[in-house]
Amino acid sequence: MEEQIGIAWHRLVNRLAARRFPEAAVELASVSRDAALLFRALGGDHGVATQAGAKTRHGARRTLLERLAGSARKVDLAWLDNQALRLPPVIDVFPETALNRSLYFWLAALCAVDPRPDLPWLTRNQAAARAVTHDFPGLAASYARLVEAEIARRPQIGKLAQDEARQEQAIRDALRNPGSVRTLPAARRPPHPVLLWLRPELPVTGKKPQPDHSPDQPSRSGSTRQSDKIRRMAEHTEMPERKGGLLLFRPESIFSWAEYAKVEHETKENEDQDLAQAADDLDIIAIARDRKSVAKKLRMSLDLPSAEGDSLALVGDGMQPEWDYRTHALKPAHCRINMVSLADAEPCALPRHLERDQQRLRRQFGALLPLHQRLKAQSEGNDIDIDPYIRHLAHRAGAETRFYFDQRKRGRDLACLLLADLSLSTEAWVGEDRRVIDVIRDSLFLFSEALSVTRDRFALYGFSSQQRSDVRFHTLKAFSESYDGTVRGRINSISPAYYTRMGAAIRRASEILGRQKARERLLLLITDGKPNDADHYEGRYGIEDTRKALIAARQQGLRPFCVTVDQEAHEYLPHIFGKNSFIIIRKPSELPIRLPLLYAQLTHQGH
Amino acid sequence: MSVTSIARAISSPNLIPPYMPTGDEIAVFELAYQNRLPVLIKGPTGCGKTRFVEHMAARLGRALYTVSCHDDLSASDLVGRHLIDASGTYWTDGPLTQAVRHGGICYLDEVVEARKDTTVVLHALSDDRRILPIDRTGEILKAPPEFMLVVSYNPGYQHLLKGLKPSTRQRFVSLAFGFPEAAREAEIVATESGVEHAIARRLVTLANALRSTADHDLEEAPGTRLIVDAAKLIASGCDPQVACRAAIVECLSDEPEITRALMVVVLAIFGN
Repeated sequence: MEEQIGIAWHRLVNRLAARRFPEAAVELASVSRDAALLFRALGGDHGVATQAGAKTRHGARRTLLERLAGSARKVDLAWLDNQALRLPPVIDVFPETALNRSLYFWLAALCAVDPRPDLPWLTRNQAAARAVTHDFPGLAASYARLVEAEIARRPQIGKLAQDEARQEQAIRDALRNPGSVRTLPAARRPPHPVLLWLRPELPVTGKKPQPDHSPDQPSRSGSTRQSDKIRRMAEHTEMPERKGGLLLFRPESIFSWAEYAKVEHETKENEDQDLAQAADDLDIIAIARDRKSVAKKLRMSLDLPSAEGDSLALVGDGMQPEWDYRTHALKPAHCRINMVSLADAEPCALPRHLERDQQRLRRQFGALLPLHQRLKAQSEGNDIDIDPYIRHLAHRAGAETRFYFDQRKRGRDLACLLLADLSLSTEAWVGEDRRVIDVIRDSLFLFSEALSVTRDRFALYGFSSQQRSDVRFHTLKAFSESYDGTVRGRINSISPAYYTRMGAAIRRASEILGRQKARERLLLLITDGKPNDADHYEGRYGIEDTRKALIAARQQGLRPFCVTVDQEAHEYLPHIFGKNSFIIIRKPSELPIRLPLLYAQLTHQGH
Repeated sequence: MSVTSIARAISSPNLIPPYMPTGDEIAVFELAYQNRLPVLIKGPTGCGKTRFVEHMAARLGRALYTVSCHDDLSASDLVGRHLIDASGTYWTDGPLTQAVRHGGICYLDEVVEARKDTTVVLHALSDDRRILPIDRTGEILKAPPEFMLVVSYNPGYQHLLKGLKPSTRQRFVSLAFGFPEAAREAEIVATESGVEHAIARRLVTLANALRSTADHDLEEAPGTRLIVDAAKLIASGCDPQVACRAAIVECLSDEPEITRALMVVVLAIFGN
């Protein structure tokens, strides 16, 4: 009974305290694409993603109700870092949907323009607001409405202490007339957070992690759908070790349980929700480097201060460089490619379930990419084209005198290298009984079947990686080999493992394809997600490195194209591959049949 | 398709189509003409390539034979073919042959679209031989000094196998066209459409905002032509938001998600 009353009280107070309008709420997911495009249109960096940001603790005075409810300590603000444009996951602070929606666009515009990020919070935001309202009249109009709504939402000046009232007045002036306020009057508490402005810069905390040379096999669980996309501020702490006596944690870690949660959720699935909730409640999640890799059921994106990476020199035959976007430098011989030959794979026939598709494809390919072309209305040829002759008879004058069909051999000089992502994420299920890897395997089979009809030269490789010292490159079919039982056996034997160091794999594939003498050389990449690896190779680092590898491939005269089943790929693939050089397959199970047709479309010569 | 429908000759050099230079392209073109060098113009859609050629032809007082290339355009469409009438067969010149015979400027727009056999014809004309062999009649035409070959193409092309071969590209003096800088483009938009300057400037801001998303969200950046079209609608009383949707946004993409996002950018500039 007491518990129920407690819960009811908590709900009531929370509802009263929350100055929010859930019925007018706008979620980031519903506007992220629009906001991202606006951000880029107004000059924002193409390399960053658009994501929900962590809440920020503001330290400003709260109302009595808020204090009673224990809420409103933190607020959702927007900011831009070198990985992403961070926007609030939900905006429901204004009573009208249109206002909440336009706040998203205003924040995206502010992040894109931000002419003086070096200035302190107050002047920087005024400078940005001035620049945006000056250049974009439409945004200026919506800004005027937002300012009034924001001021109506802010604490009443009359109810504040004198110093805080002066501060509040200054903020209001700065909002109404950006650029008019130079300094913020001092007060005991920071001002009430300004939702129309960018987040104040936070001091950087935490130690840089030591590179981890753990040989343990990382395990990673599949579906990105489950991933909780709200970024959480993270800092590295040392893994607590048992040092003498019964003390399990280092004393400074024991503030409360809430300050230290080991993010390891392999055991119970129903904990996900609770942990997500707990993680939201923490300011900073402490991450310890653990020698035992754990699968994170809940794949949180963490704002980790990125490791500088180890500087250990690697030696070997297949060394590849890697691009570091932060230093704008190509690190020479940074990744080691290990060729995997798959020599012991059992030769096999085409799997039974693909036979019908195979026959259909062979027929379609015969029509799509014929070896011979039948040319109509030729002046000479081996068959009569009756249409122009009838026209000629009917019109007498002005008609042409070309009455023959001619056969011409198709002049097609094309080499294609298909590179398949074999990382562990391909173990995710895409339907009742199939995993991504099964779909990729079937795609490789059908692709090979189709290309053996066209007689285009092709090679098949797969890749996975476990940090830079071990980028595995599986030879499924070299250009010199023919497609037979042995190759089918190798395709059959592929299995998911480790991570996706895409840049190094693309550089290796470009080398192999670059040696082919053909007029057109196509590099086809099949993947299910972003580049990433067990070290700092993730987020923007991986994306920029992959992009660099592709630029190099284009300069070499290769034509890269990416086929992905990642439904969120439109966030990063345009930056990596360019708008016209990738396709997202909406239903992964359709990949096997779509891939060969796509190839036909891409290479169809039109005449 | 008849030959005459794809060839268009501007015969009155008194009427010079307006063109606002963005660099030294006029001087380069004139020098290329004097030195009998063929010219290649590359640049995105709607940046003024065709207008420039029309302007130059009028300026130099030459007839212009424009051919818009498509993927069924063969060498004989350019050179000419035999036709039949009541009295028997007779030969008609294609636009290229006409330009060579009469000393005009032959402009092949989007030359990469044309069939591969056209390059053979162009090669003999674009090096120092400057000849046009006509296989069907056995005639070999020597191009007069007034003849000039101009081709254009759009490097931001979508097809994996279409592009200009290096051996073809290296025969031409090349001019790269981009979009003019904002103030100049606003002037062009205002002059072409008659819209007031403030609106023209806003339209150009919009165009540049959309252009900066081109690699990422759009297949191709909006050209000056699109902006001029929108400006014309506005000048005749259309609401700017409606005009931008009809003349710009819907022309750039067919995906509803993208057009919706593009309208957000339009509203950032023309919102009220």
